Amino acid sequence: VAALGVNGAPVLSLVTATPFVAACLIMLVGRTRPLGVRLIAVGAAAVTLGLSLYLYLAYDGAAGGFQFREQYPLVRALGISVELGADGMSVLMVLLTAVIIFAGVFASWTVRVRDQEFYALLLTLVTGVFGVFVSLDLFVFFLFYEIAVLPMYLLIGIWGSTGEVRPQGIFAWAFRETGVGTKEYAAMKLTLYLLLGSAFILVGLFVLYFAGGVNSFSLLQLSEVTFTPATQRWVFLALYVGFGILAGIWPLHTWSPDGHASAPTAVSMLHAGVLMKLGAYGVVRVAMTLLPEATQAWAPLVGTIAVVNVVYGAFSAMAQTDLKYVVAYSSVSHMGLVMLGAATLTEAGLNGAIFQMFAHGIMTGLFFALVGLIYEKSHTREIGRMGGFGRRMPGIAACFTLGALSSLGLPGLAGFVAEILTFLGAWQSASRWWLFPAVLGTLLTAIYVLRVAKRIFWGPLAAGPHGEWAALPDARGPEWVSLVFLSAILILFGLVPGLALSLVDPATVALLDRIGVLP
Amino acid sequence: MLLALELGVAALALVVFLLGLGRRRDSREIGLVAAVGLAGLAGLSLVIDARGPLFDGAFVVDGLAVFLKQVFLVATLLAVVGGLGRPDAAERHRALEYHLLVLTALLGMMVLASARELVLLFVAFELMSIPLYVLAGFAKKDARAVEASLKFFLVGSLSTALLAYGLSFVYGVTGSTRLDVVTRSVAGGDPLLLLGLLLVLSGVGFKIAAFPFHMWVPDTYEAAATPFVAWLSVAPKAAGFAVLLRVFVEHAGPPAALWAGAAALLGGLTIVAGNLMAIPQTDAKRLLAYSGIAHIGYMLLGVAALSPHGAAMLLFYLVAYLFSNIGAFMVVETVAQTEGSTALRTLRGLAQRSPALALAMLLFLLSLGGIPFVVGFWAKLYVLWAAAQSGLYGLVLLAAVMTVVALFYYLLVAKQMYIDAPARSTPVPVPAPLALVLAVSAVAVVLLGLYPGPLLDSALRAVTPLF
Repeated sequence: VAALGVNGAPVLSLVTATPFVAACLIMLVGRTRPLGVRLIAVGAAAVTLGLSLYLYLAYDGAAGGFQFREQYPLVRALGISVELGADGMSVLMVLLTAVIIFAGVFASWTVRVRDQEFYALLLTLVTGVFGVFVSLDLFVFFLFYEIAVLPMYLLIGIWGSTGEVRPQGIFAWAFRETGVGTKEYAAMKLTLYLLLGSAFILVGLFVLYFAGGVNSFSLLQLSEVTFTPATQRWVFLALYVGFGILAGIWPLHTWSPDGHASAPTAVSMLHAGVLMKLGAYGVVRVAMTLLPEATQAWAPLVGTIAVVNVVYGAFSAMAQTDLKYVVAYSSVSHMGLVMLGAATLTEAGLNGAIFQMFAHGIMTGLFFALVGLIYEKSHTREIGRMGGFGRRMPGIAACFTLGALSSLGLPGLAGFVAEILTFLGAWQSASRWWLFPAVLGTLLTAIYVLRVAKRIFWGPLAAGPHGEWAALPDARGPEWVSLVFLSAILILFGLVPGLALSLVDPATVALLDRIGVLP
Repeated sequence: MLLALELGVAALALVVFLLGLGRRRDSREIGLVAAVGLAGLAGLSLVIDARGPLFDGAFVVDGLAVFLKQVFLVATLLAVVGGLGRPDAAERHRALEYHLLVLTALLGMMVLASARELVLLFVAFELMSIPLYVLAGFAKKDARAVEASLKFFLVGSLSTALLAYGLSFVYGVTGSTRLDVVTRSVAGGDPLLLLGLLLVLSGVGFKIAAFPFHMWVPDTYEAAATPFVAWLSVAPKAAGFAVLLRVFVEHAGPPAALWAGAAALLGGLTIVAGNLMAIPQTDAKRLLAYSGIAHIGYMLLGVAALSPHGAAMLLFYLVAYLFSNIGAFMVVETVAQTEGSTALRTLRGLAQRSPALALAMLLFLLSLGGIPFVVGFWAKLYVLWAAAQSGLYGLVLLAAVMTVVALFYYLLVAKQMYIDAPARSTPVPVPAPLALVLAVSAVAVVLLGLYPGPLLDSALRAVTPLF
């Protein structure tokens, strides 16, 4: 085992374990102490944020590779061990997760019902997410993946909200029968979709394990094995489908708008902001790293589906009347950009993909936090009913506009860097035509986000169902924390993209070198 | 002392019998004596390390036999203790009969795990089965229980007949009742012998309730007393797999590929059928019955893998299934005592009424569903691993996808407990014996889930000499 951190401290296991420890603490002490629950959660989020900042600063970009390594045996008979390590890409993702959960804890300050369980589940989920990003053993990676998925069921089922959009049209009866649109339906759909994905992943990992013949699930050991082309082709497909479901690839994305729209605020932030990235991360980290030939062979398919995502997601977002669904479909569209960047197999494209994962994670976290606030104050998610909110909530309006501008790729904000890199990559790639649908997607994004922003915040103030919107309050207290924090990061990384790219680029180059497409 | 455990069970049965003779309406003592005796025997099984054949090889005490006997003992212990938590039930008024029958069936299982000779195997099989028929209809004034018992008896007799018929072919062709001779003769590929073995497979298929031999399960489970059902769903199934391992896997050479195919087909069908039929159930016991059928399918994959890992995973799976399933049934029993029904809706809002009980049930369900950090996950994983190792990738994918279906109905139960609002807000009282069983099962499910290594190793050690 290589050096453990700088001071020999097991930083990665600390980051991973802290939220779970906090969750246990909350279950032990929090029954009658709502403030105590929140303070523990904030404390844990702050600790993980601090640790991930430390990781970010301590990561030696010049040396590259996996650092902060740790290893503990788990099941010797099957060659499974808890092997942790982080490269530039994982460090950035860990930072993203820490930022989002920090903001998420504040954004869910007002959860009143069964808040103890809420925070405990939320933090457990975060442990799963951290675990996935820092695991080098594919099996442990899979374990954490499952932990990141399951609490979602209860989080959405108990604390979620059922949208106001009722099923219409000739199939309305069928939708009513199955409960489409309710939080229970969304929770079940999301969980089953993601577990189906994990079934594909598990089978793929097994094939790698047995075909590899090194009696190990270790990513590093498996990456020294060259798999036969046939194995590569099928395993890549299984992993692409498995992880792709989580990444929201078309046509397996339909769980995501339902899930995100029904979930409580912090869960939407975490899910759209981080968990979908986890799918893309899985494709890049496992499938592309271990199966270089298949990556080249399947890249045209992956990229083509990705541009479908971009355009289809944008059109779908345009058609929504429920604010949360707009943001949810915009995630589908942006995840298309991530997958497109990865499929270009160029340095710019891959850097763009990973930067997009970060930028979109922050941006969508901000969006969902704002939507949550708007819903909490106005008790509606229907865009058609809102209007002129900017007069009453200037702070929320400003942040929303900032997020919207980043979403459509305005220079100076993080979204721009990601998109321009992806477009460059698409143009340099084997399939130049990808550029056009991708740019079209951005144009559509501009149309729908600006239209939504205008409708909600500008113009004359709508009266509200009983005329009570004249007194809509702006964000206050802890709510500001998440808004200001996330907005600042959007601007910071937009102005100084090097903050992320310097970390990501070595990892990208190493990966492309493995795949064998570096010029 | 190779026979120590069997003699111990027989002695315990006698003690129970003698104790019960003097009383008319006896209550707890007999159950307590049985429980203490079983606990002692389970402890004894850990210390005794005598191994070897007996009666000219007809009876063998090897790693597999001991492992299975421990499974039987623990399952019976949990069921007997759980039965003590039923106030005012038939088991309590007629404790002598009840515990005598349970111990007799247990004796049959114990011998079965060691039997390596066809006559002994058949006798042990019957010694196990006949008390079970009586026990299924133990509440003799309850028409449903009598119906369940009759159904169980008729189907069980058919399976016994199939088994005996198959064994007669086997004897006719090989001229021997010893399993090692039979195994050697299989290489000759005599079609009558193969027919005989397939009949044995179907006979055992009834006992373990593999699809399409499963029809008796839901009705019997629904009508019989829950602690007994918890036991019925685990111990006799384990005994059935003991037969499968002895007859089909032990020292099976290349011809075994023939019934590996049959077992794989049976397993695949059972997984699909069990899981699909569990979806529309509205009664907790029926749901667990169908989900149990699906689990049998997963275990059959371990037979189909025909490898040390396959057999070891089967044993591991049995242990995982033991704690999860008995635990789940005992939660149903606890709630039913207050609510008077085993319908799924009685679980509504359980998390707000009795958080600990709901958490225990959630753990058992997650374990049955195969979720990480509870023991069922390793069981499922190990099945898929062993099947993948034997190259059955198609089955692995099918089994993996079907676990998602299973999670659907397990999550529906979780939804009732955690998401739905309770009809009443009073906590559900948990009788002390049931609380004990639940605590032990929950702790086992979590501990083995966090640390599966030692159990996995011991399962592997137990089966390695078979190959």
